[in-house]
Amino acid sequence: MSKASIIINRTQELLRSLWYKGEEVCLLCGGQDGPICPTCIKEYFHPELARCQACGKLIARESTYCRDCLEHRGPQALTRVTAWGHYAGGWRDFIHRIKYQAQPRLVQKIAHLLAEWAVTQLPPPDSIVAVPMHPSRLAERGFNQAEMISSVLRWELGIPLLNGLERVLPTRSQAELSRQERLHNLTGAFKVRDQKNFSGHIIWLVDDVTTTGATLEACAQALRAVEVGEIYGLCLAAGIEKNLVSAGD
Amino acid sequence: MLFYLVRTPKGELVLSPFPELDKPYFEGGSFKEDGKNIEPYTVLTPGVPLAYLETVAVPSESILRALAREDVLKSFPWHWGDLEYLKDYLPGVVVGPESREPNVEIVKSLRGRKLTEDELRMLATSYGLKPEEVWQQAHLLVRAGLGEWVPAVRRERKGWRCQRCGESELEEWPSIYGAAFTCPSCRSLGTSSTLKVIYRDLRTPARENFGLRSLNKTSDLVLTPAQEKAAGQVLEFVQSTLESEALLWAACGAGKTEVCFPAAAWALGQGKSVLFAAPRQDVIHDVAPRLQQAFPDLSIPVLSGASAAKFSAGDLVLATTHQVLRFYQAFDLIFLDELDAFPYRDSRMLQWGVTQALRPGGKILFLSATPDPATLKRIRKEGKIIRLPARHHRRPLPVPVFKKMPDWSRVKDSGSLLSKMQPGFGSMLAALREHGPVIFFVPKISSVNVWTEILKSIFPGWSIAGSYSRDPERLDKLVALRRGDFDLFVATSILERGVTIEGAQVAVMAADHPVFDERSLVQMAGRAGRTRANPSGGVIFFAARETAAIRTAVRWINEQNELARTAGLLD
Repeated sequence: MSKASIIINRTQELLRSLWYKGEEVCLLCGGQDGPICPTCIKEYFHPELARCQACGKLIARESTYCRDCLEHRGPQALTRVTAWGHYAGGWRDFIHRIKYQAQPRLVQKIAHLLAEWAVTQLPPPDSIVAVPMHPSRLAERGFNQAEMISSVLRWELGIPLLNGLERVLPTRSQAELSRQERLHNLTGAFKVRDQKNFSGHIIWLVDDVTTTGATLEACAQALRAVEVGEIYGLCLAAGIEKNLVSAGD
Repeated sequence: MLFYLVRTPKGELVLSPFPELDKPYFEGGSFKEDGKNIEPYTVLTPGVPLAYLETVAVPSESILRALAREDVLKSFPWHWGDLEYLKDYLPGVVVGPESREPNVEIVKSLRGRKLTEDELRMLATSYGLKPEEVWQQAHLLVRAGLGEWVPAVRRERKGWRCQRCGESELEEWPSIYGAAFTCPSCRSLGTSSTLKVIYRDLRTPARENFGLRSLNKTSDLVLTPAQEKAAGQVLEFVQSTLESEALLWAACGAGKTEVCFPAAAWALGQGKSVLFAAPRQDVIHDVAPRLQQAFPDLSIPVLSGASAAKFSAGDLVLATTHQVLRFYQAFDLIFLDELDAFPYRDSRMLQWGVTQALRPGGKILFLSATPDPATLKRIRKEGKIIRLPARHHRRPLPVPVFKKMPDWSRVKDSGSLLSKMQPGFGSMLAALREHGPVIFFVPKISSVNVWTEILKSIFPGWSIAGSYSRDPERLDKLVALRRGDFDLFVATSILERGVTIEGAQVAVMAADHPVFDERSLVQMAGRAGRTRANPSGGVIFFAARETAAIRTAVRWINEQNELARTAGLLD
């Protein structure tokens, strides 16, 4: 495209944006009423369901914990965990586009909705901590999606980010492992640098997805070791209790 | 994939994703034979995606100074270290030091290819290998000078450009290396970004002589005199050293694909590589059996979004224009069908891809029944136009009849529209139906159901159905249509091209609608009278006014018939 035609196109876009109200498409299904349409909210975010207090899983409204956590198979070191949506369908595809298709900018488009939701779920923290990525994976991907999410929350809510939690072992991807393997895979994987910065803090520990809660738990254990006050896990997506799957899907 | 800057014992600087694998290529025997201490083989760490390193990696000792000038890279913990000590922290040799031998299958399937590291990963999976094995096989080809690594999105003098599809309007985002760019245009084929790398094969095609054998077997290919004449001209174009582009402008249903076979056979016989490409999958799958029949000795990979094998290679390849993006200077001769069809027509990406897939000095033959004005103008000036004006049954193309009707968009309801159109409308359709099933084209998806209902009320005894691109029952309905189950079938442009229905008659409703240009009108009219059993057919354009597109379409069809008549190709 020539320079002149780019200028003409841009001018046309600008004029259109002045004349017409921008109609945002849904980021998940491509339909109307974006950034996330009411149908997708219903389908993937289930406002009618509760979240397991220990691992963030979507559970029946009247429950407090999921079955795994009742049997003490979930995270122990966090104060509470919550997850925004169900890791399935269009919502999972959206997260994959961010992570695996080099489109981290998409996080910005959901920033406002995410922040609005987060403040209704968790008490205000002193700071936000992103689940770190090992340098070798960061070098390949070029960005850490948990940091991207933390960063937009910081801009939306004015809560400072706290650096210093590090991933010191290049572990295998959790996605490839079974529940048991996931728990062992992360032993000793995280470490806190400058522990005095963390002492007594109330923090939101942010990640993109939680399934067994093993990553959050491993981070929380490292944070507990440096006497962090309260740790609230916050994720974009989690699994759903098995007996709700038919309702969920 | 990360690249490292390596200083060889001779002091050369090379970029490598696998320093350890490269080691034997740079040590040079003389160092060891002399028994002297060789210079250490040093590596600059950390590794960085090629897009960020290739522009600063100047072959000089001042590399660290160059890096210090880079906005973000300057803060990296740069360190030169002996490979011996760094070995455990760098990608190891997966193919094995003893087995630096090429994997014949992989090496073969990389020929002429342009694949991202993720596509190489998919190739590895299809062979049951680890990704590193295939990456290293590709790297061995690069080391041998038979291929090259390029960043999937590369910095150019002005801005950045996707090396897979040529797009320069990219999505920018902040990475740990500074500004990163992801290509939005070719996303359907997988991610292309500054963090990724592409393997481009630089080998010449295999010079095997199998084409000549295939040529003998094509003798059962029966061409009509019209086809033979055009085939001769196509062969002449392929053999000549004059033009690099030509257009085969054929009447709808004249059998233009077969016209290319003799030239393809000749080219294959010369050891040239040949590609048949088209924008739409259904065209590719329609051509596949015909091509295979003509070249029974060859295994012809059929590459489309729907086919499982996306990485097969060969000297004769059949592919959608999207799949062509995965080839680099691979073909001496490209036959590109339906260049005026969606999505190729308006896609800079696909057009760039076809140009990239052509070897320097190669030739392209465009095939179309309805070439766009820009292509016509270009080829009239620089190329050659070959005409194939007659169908194989030696009967003229049906010429559309224009019938005035009320302006549909101004009529409030279908009842009042009907009252204005009756009775001539119904009797015209009934007259068409006497010769075969009627395909009733409408301009919009929303009109399909409306007209299906109206027509059912006019012809209560007829079997009538309708379909459009997103209709979930589309495939079943088309099968039923081919079987002759319907008297009348309402459709959008999905039936405009590449479809042959025995005995089909054509009616176009609102032919003056802006969505119908002269090319789509010619294509729709071209659905009638295609077969030997039913060589004639009726075509009616219903419209409130005779637009320029309608006039041009009728003129084109008349011109084809006139050309065919003058050439003695009609009975």
